[in-house]
Amino acid sequence: MHTNEHTQKAETFIVPIGPQHPALREPGHFEFTIEGEIVTAASVRLGYAHRGIEKGTESRNWVQNLYMLERICGICSHIHATAYCLGVEQLAGVEAPPRAQAIREMVAELERTHSHLLWLGEAAHEAGFETLFMYAWRDRETVMDILEALTGNRVNYSANLLGGVKYDVTGEQASKIEQGLDYLEERTRHYLDVVTSDPVFIQRTRGIGVMTAVQADRLGVVGPTARASGVVRDVRVEAPYAAYTAFPITPVLAQAGDLEARFVVRLRELFESYGVIRRILANLPPGELVLKRMPRRIKAGEAISRVEAPRGELFYFIRSNGSDTPDRVKVRTPTLCNMASVLTLTVGRHLADVPMILVGIDPCFSCNDRGLVLKRGADHEHWTWDRLRQIGLDYYAGERGSGGVGGTSISPAPLPPCPPALLTGMHV
Amino acid sequence: MTELSQTIQTAVSLLTPYAQTVDYPATNRADLGVGVADLVTAVSTLHESNWGYLAAITGLDCGLESSELEVLYHFCAGAAVVTMRVKVGKETAVVPSICPIIPSASFFERELSEMLGVTVAGTPNTARLFLPDNWPAGVYPLRKDFQPEMINGR
Repeated sequence: MHTNEHTQKAETFIVPIGPQHPALREPGHFEFTIEGEIVTAASVRLGYAHRGIEKGTESRNWVQNLYMLERICGICSHIHATAYCLGVEQLAGVEAPPRAQAIREMVAELERTHSHLLWLGEAAHEAGFETLFMYAWRDRETVMDILEALTGNRVNYSANLLGGVKYDVTGEQASKIEQGLDYLEERTRHYLDVVTSDPVFIQRTRGIGVMTAVQADRLGVVGPTARASGVVRDVRVEAPYAAYTAFPITPVLAQAGDLEARFVVRLRELFESYGVIRRILANLPPGELVLKRMPRRIKAGEAISRVEAPRGELFYFIRSNGSDTPDRVKVRTPTLCNMASVLTLTVGRHLADVPMILVGIDPCFSCNDRGLVLKRGADHEHWTWDRLRQIGLDYYAGERGSGGVGGTSISPAPLPPCPPALLTGMHV
Repeated sequence: MTELSQTIQTAVSLLTPYAQTVDYPATNRADLGVGVADLVTAVSTLHESNWGYLAAITGLDCGLESSELEVLYHFCAGAAVVTMRVKVGKETAVVPSICPIIPSASFFERELSEMLGVTVAGTPNTARLFLPDNWPAGVYPLRKDFQPEMINGR
């Protein structure tokens, strides 16, 4: 026994994780040096999703860039567009109308809601708590439906314009949003109870990946990851933008600094989001949605635009040389700040804790469009969500009918024919 | 507002000994030109006084006709943003690493050196962070003279 322990300690292995699926469905490559089960060193290699977007902005005009920058991320798309619009408006010396600013904030909080619920599911999945994953994502559909009703899209809502927003909120939409929020509030309360009381889940989160306030400050972490360690770092509070002065939020803090605290902070933040969305709906300022005139050429100068993305501070530096294209757009996303904490916090922990610590910072990964366009020659046919859902139900009903699932046969039952639509042009 | 301008003034007065230029581009910002030789001392002065945190490092190519690159160190405290602006020649683009003072600057410095071709002297990790392994040496995508043929024409 003693000899075994000795051998274990003397041997060092490097465990490569990624680039495919390093715990999450986003490419990134980690190397963890382990002695026995304990991680002693960690390194990361990024760039597998690097698309040269900063360079790309230099060859597109100010308006085109809005649409490209919104596509940096499929989860926090709106906040990228908001940061960019606020920066460009600052350079042009204009300000979007109050109603537009309030709608920007409302969409941003709806986006935070969907992002945090998505994360809750993903984090539960990493902990092996599949039931929580399924329920969280089911409930997330409520906010996705709200976003679709408001803007026509589930991701890349494209709500922003330079100088305002595209979409207004009708009374009917407002009452639908209210209903959705009531439901989500009740569910979030339940999830908060689950993550703080389920004994099995707590074993994966309590006291794991602890980051003290001093460490958080030194590592430069941002967003909920910092706030779970008691560091008040929230751009919405520290440097209110859009309509956050008129519709403020209270920062949510926790002191424990462990994974459980990161769950508690993100879930409690949702109540802040629900509250502020309700206040905006009740007091939406009247007036225009967009400025009458937004210059095509932007005055030469430099602007810094900071906003609070679901994962923390998003930092834009924009420089104009007075032409219709930017000279430089620098984007510093929150995940880059938080990634250093993963490398630090995993050292000294068990290898088995690595996925949970990684997911704890909510690294940003792209989510996918459910839009389906059928291409049959020149014909295009759009499928609605309801129809797609019905096809799914019919598909599996047929499968059950053939005795494939839950049947007694040992050999796999032949799959029912795939609906032809699913074979082409589907973005999974 | 007074609190904001006080926060900015605190940083500016701390950095005055090292500042070649001081500019206020917006009510919440101060932009200070700092010599390469003074950078580490200036960053360490700000850091030791617990003024804010390093939010980002931006690299800028000042244009095809210019022989200079700029490296911007953005520090944030609440709503205040203080930028230290360091100018380096394109041919001799070297800045000292600030990692000994702020270890989390490592990712920012790696990004700066691979995208703009600025050598960060003394940075703990010089491995590529974002660009592919087979990206040609000496080609920096965020330089203004970058052409896609530089990678395709290998």
